[in-house]
Parts: sequence; structure tokens; C-alpha cells
Amino acid sequence: MTYLRQRVAVECDVCIVGSGISAAMVADKLAREREARVVVIEAGDEVPSLGRRGALRQRFLDYDENPWPRDHLEGYDVEGPLQSRSMCVGGLAMHWGGVTPRFSPEDFKLRSLYGVGTDWPISYDDLEPHYLEAERVLGVAGEQGPPQMDPRSAPFPMPMLPLTYNLELLKAWVAKAGIAMWSQPSAKNSVVYGGRAQCCRNDTCTPICPIGAKYSPDFTWDALRRAKRVELMTRTLVRRLEKDGSGRVTRVVAVRRDAPNDEVEVRARTFVVAGGYVWSAHLLLLSGLANSSGLVGKYLCGHRNVQAYVRLPMKLYPGINGQHSLVSKQFMRVKRRDDGRYLRHDLRVWESSVGQAPRLRNSAGKLLLGDEILDDWRSRTQQGVARLRAYYDVIPDRSSELTLDSSRKSPWGDPLPKLAFRDAPESAAVKDWSEETIRGLFAELARAGGGEVIRAQSDAFQDHPAGGCRMGDDAGSSVTDSWGRTHDHENLFVVGAPTCVSGSCANATLTFCALSLRSAAEIGRAFPARASAVTPGSTG
Amino acid sequence: MSVLSRRNFVVWLSSAVPLAVVARRADALGAAWIRDDFETLVALARAILPSQLGTDGARRVARDFQRWIDEYRENAELVHGYGTSALRFARASPRARWAAQLAALGDGFTSLSGEERREIVRDALDDERSDRLPDVAAAPHVALALLAFYFGSSEAADLCHEARIGRERCRPLAEQARKPLPLRGRESRA
Repeated sequence: MTYLRQRVAVECDVCIVGSGISAAMVADKLAREREARVVVIEAGDEVPSLGRRGALRQRFLDYDENPWPRDHLEGYDVEGPLQSRSMCVGGLAMHWGGVTPRFSPEDFKLRSLYGVGTDWPISYDDLEPHYLEAERVLGVAGEQGPPQMDPRSAPFPMPMLPLTYNLELLKAWVAKAGIAMWSQPSAKNSVVYGGRAQCCRNDTCTPICPIGAKYSPDFTWDALRRAKRVELMTRTLVRRLEKDGSGRVTRVVAVRRDAPNDEVEVRARTFVVAGGYVWSAHLLLLSGLANSSGLVGKYLCGHRNVQAYVRLPMKLYPGINGQHSLVSKQFMRVKRRDDGRYLRHDLRVWESSVGQAPRLRNSAGKLLLGDEILDDWRSRTQQGVARLRAYYDVIPDRSSELTLDSSRKSPWGDPLPKLAFRDAPESAAVKDWSEETIRGLFAELARAGGGEVIRAQSDAFQDHPAGGCRMGDDAGSSVTDSWGRTHDHENLFVVGAPTCVSGSCANATLTFCALSLRSAAEIGRAFPARASAVTPGSTG
Repeated sequence: MSVLSRRNFVVWLSSAVPLAVVARRADALGAAWIRDDFETLVALARAILPSQLGTDGARRVARDFQRWIDEYRENAELVHGYGTSALRFARASPRARWAAQLAALGDGFTSLSGEERREIVRDALDDERSDRLPDVAAAPHVALALLAFYFGSSEAADLCHEARIGRERCRPLAEQARKPLPLRGRESRA
């Protein structure tokens, strides 16, 4: 049999590399507002349809099985702390918890306000309209917090998720310590929204919502494909971007995983790299593009956390809706300290059952069976347990980086990424003090409720990682401008997480979405407006 | 095959000869033998699960446990959490080992009193030093697996709290603000 090597060539207006949540925001906004042919290239597979997710969830509950089969690529192991190995349609946000706080105004001017890190080239006010738009596209249910802590120019698109019976009790507890908390904004439907169901507390938002009440990017892709507004090429892995002599990027070169000998070429007017904090910088480094500053892959950022479990003299009923939480921004919106030290953190509170699981032996070591287990369990659950967690700011060092590891190659022979997160000196200097201060707050909270801290721990992992293609006004100290346009190539954009200057101390996905929508506004300017624009959220 | 020789054969297959092909055969035989020993499994459940379940409840849990074993998939990819690129896979089926342990409880196990059955289980679990109930599939003994299976369930949590929490079940969102209702009399007896 003779194998005929094929070459597939595609022409379009906008080529988006990756199909995660940032890519979905860009494609959605272009589809709503512009006349442009959009092609999206995704290395991974399609995800199971909504109709299959109930059964997949049950396998997860019963056997701890992965509810997203084939959600990653073999041979794409990453050395270093990786958020998730998901590479599939929808990307990492197929697994996310749907938690959508905004950054605070201080996040964008850490240098000006506190003398640490780097100011962003945009302010909170610049991003605020895009936060609103992101909340409408995703469908966010939220409660307006105290305005001085939680500034916003319009209500959430959906009413808040009601506090559970447990959270109402916990809210009253933290109030005794003078802390204001409210319902965590979430991309989960408190009412039917965007053609998707109301949340019914299945409580497995992470890793899988079986009814589609939590937003995930596959819903946007399904809607855009039904409306024939995008073409999504799956199982197609982009290996490099190429430019012409003028510096304009002209094409992506990809390989089809089903036909590895075939070459896929996509030519476009505009290219958008939307591969998250790992694969965006990785692709640019492989392509030798956008790196005149030498900063591609540098300044990876995120936030660490300290968490504690507090036993309280109140009867709680764990399991009412364990993934929903209280949130406060009281410690994010702080002034510069007189002693010069710097600490900002968020605060969240959940119900918990830590330390209260049924057990086989009691404290005296006696083996328990049947009613003995139940009686022991009941006696230990007469008091409640709360989980407290604070993400705190970590200022990234330049050497917090993604590099190409030539000793480890992908199945196509490309060097794989290697990750290393490192604190800037101003962060490293206050790390221990920061964690001790947060633990002190937790102890104070426990005392205010007549309770005790039963466990506390600090996590070295930096959550919600970002950076690697940081934005800035100066081409010598950043990779993109504030719109995500690379300084070196006027038709090449990087969107979402990689463009972040710093990682804040709150879940970052909504900010990635808002940044992507802001980029999409700029990308769209090159294309004609649609005769009748579509309302945000109607495709998601 | 007599009960005694069957038991010895299962023990030999599941522990002494860990060849893949033999293990698969042992697993298949174990499936049949657990089904054959279902009344022993019910007697075990009756002895080591809460008495509030009653005979019908214990039988129902034993049936669910049997189904759990039957639908277990070796080498299935397990959920991969945040912070790692490592993959995990389901371990080898514990079925043959558990079948042997069920058989080892003895021919007259079903006719013993509850306390006599519990005494046999205590002897079998005497080496278990941890106070934690393990993941079901990791349980070294069938009795421990049954305990982990039941006490890890939403139903057991409701029984513990004597309230209709319904953890991880689809429930109206608006009701989450209310204190969970107490179990009705029948539910509290499960």
C-alpha cells in the first residue's frame, strides 16, 4: 500500500491556537460583533457530550475515575508544577470550579501603591467593562459585596447562589471577628441562563457538572459551531508559527494526530495564541517569535495559600453544597503598612468534614464495627468544622520561568516545557511572615467563635498560574501591549492568562476572560462589524 | 468443587500465583463465587453495618456492593487533580482476594449470632492499625471494603446526622438555605 502524504491548507481571517476559555471568549466576541472567518486549532479531542456526563460523574463518584476521558495528550508531560494536564476542547476550564471573583483595583498598581512588583499598563477601570461582559458571557451568579470592597458598575447577570444553611451560620461566626463575607460569585446558574439548567447542587462542580449548570467553554464552541461562526479543528497540534520578512506572521504549521505525516497549514490575517500559561510561551519559544525582550516564558505568576480547619461549637450538616463558599476582599484592599512589609490576601470559608470521617478505631485504639462506628461518628459531628483559605500575593521573579527542555521531546520531536516558579526578592523576604500572619488571623477567628484550629497548612504550589508573556507599555520589558498584541508582530496576539503581569490573590479565570474579551475588541477592529450584534451570553 | 477446596484454590490463585492470566481467571471465578456466597455477604453486612439498616437494608447494601465489585474496571484512568501531570490508574481488581476472604469466614458464618460474626471479623481485622477507613478498592479485607463502601455513602452521612442532606444528589437549589429536614422514621431505619 502506498501512503500519500497530504498537505492541508486553510485560509481564514483569524486563526486561534487553542480552545480553552480565553479562546472561547475571543471567538465568541468576534462572532457576536464582527464578520470574520475564524478557525480554531485544538491539539486535543472533543469532550463527551452533556448527555453522557451524568454517567461519567457516577463513575467518578463510585471509582474515582477521570470523568473526562482522553482529555490529555500522551507524551506531553511537563516537568515542574503544572496546574493540570488537560488538553482538550475547552481546555483546563472543563475541570474548573466555576469560581469567578474579580481582581481588585490594587492588583493593577502594586508598584505605585506598595512599592513591589510591576504596575500593569491598564487599570481596574480599564478592565471593568470587560469584567461585566465576561460575567454575562459566562453567566455569573453573584452578590454585591460592600461597595468599598467590591466595586462594580452594574449588577451581576444572575442573582447570587443562595447561602447554604451551613454558610449562614459560618457567616455569622466570621462577623463576630469583624469580617464581612458574602456569597462567592460563580459561573453557575442560579436560574436558567444561556439555555443551560439551574444548578441543583450535585456538588461535583470540580471535576464535572453533570447538567451544564456550570459554564464551560464547550458550550460556547457548540453554539458557535451550530451557528457556523467558527471552524474548530481538533486533534491538530500546532508546532510553529512562521513570519515573513516584514515581521508579520503568515501561517501556522500543524500536524494532524490522526495523520502524522500530513502537514496542516493555516494562513490568516490575524493570529491569536490562546494556549494558557504553558503552551502559549512554549509555542512562541519553539517558533522563535515575539521574544525581542527575552521575556517569553518569564515572570510566571500565581498565588500560594494558607488554609486551616477550625472546629466550632455549632452543628453543621456537611454536604448541603460543599463547593459553595463565602468570600471576602477585606484583606485585598489594604493600605501600605507603616513597617514597609507587604501582605494582601483573600479569604474564603467553606463547610467541611475534615477530621470528622467515620473511623475504624476510636481514640483508645478499639476496633469499631456497626453501631459503634455510627455512634462514634455521631458524637464527633455534634460540632462543626469550617475550612478557611487565604490566597496571598506572590510577586514573580524574572527567573520564574518556562524554558524548553531539550532533554525531553514530544512525540513530534519538539522540546517539552519545563516550569520553575520563583519569588521576587520582595516576596521571598516576607513569605514566612505572611503565612504566620494569616495563621494568626485564622486563630483569632477560631477564638471569636469559641473554636479551635485543628489543622493548618501552607501550600507551596502556586494556584491559577499565569504569565509568561506579560503585557506592558515598554517593548523592552514586556512581550505584549495591553491588548495582548505582541510588540514584535503587529498581527500576532497572545490572550488571557499569559499576559498577566502578576497573579493577584484571588481565583483568576474571570480576569483571564475579561482580558481576552478586551483583546478581542482590539482584534475585531480589523474586521467589519456585523449588521446586528448579538447579546453577550446568548451563545454561551 | 467442594467449598473447602474452592476456598484454598482461590487463596492460592489470588496470592501465590500473581501471573496476569491466572489473576484474570481468579477474578472471573471470584465474581461467580461472591455471587454464590451472597448470603454470607449479607450476613457480614448485617453484622458490621449499623443495626438501623435492618435485614432488608443490609441486603440492599450487599447488593450494591456486589454491583460495585462487578463494575470495577482495572487500569481505568483515575481523576487527575490540579498541580501534577502524573496520571493514576485503578489497581488490580480485589475481587478474587475478597472472594477468598468471604469464603474464609467459614461455612457456618450465616448461622452465627451477630456478636459471634463480629468476633470473627474483629479477629480478621486485628492487624489493621489505621483508624481510617480506606478507599474501597484499597481495602485489604472484604469486611473493611464493605465498611468503607457503606460509610462513605451519602446515605450513611444522612444516618449519622439524622437529617436528609442528600450529599452529591441532585436537589433544589433554593432549599439549600434551609436546615436539612430530619429523617423520617422509615428512613432513619433505612
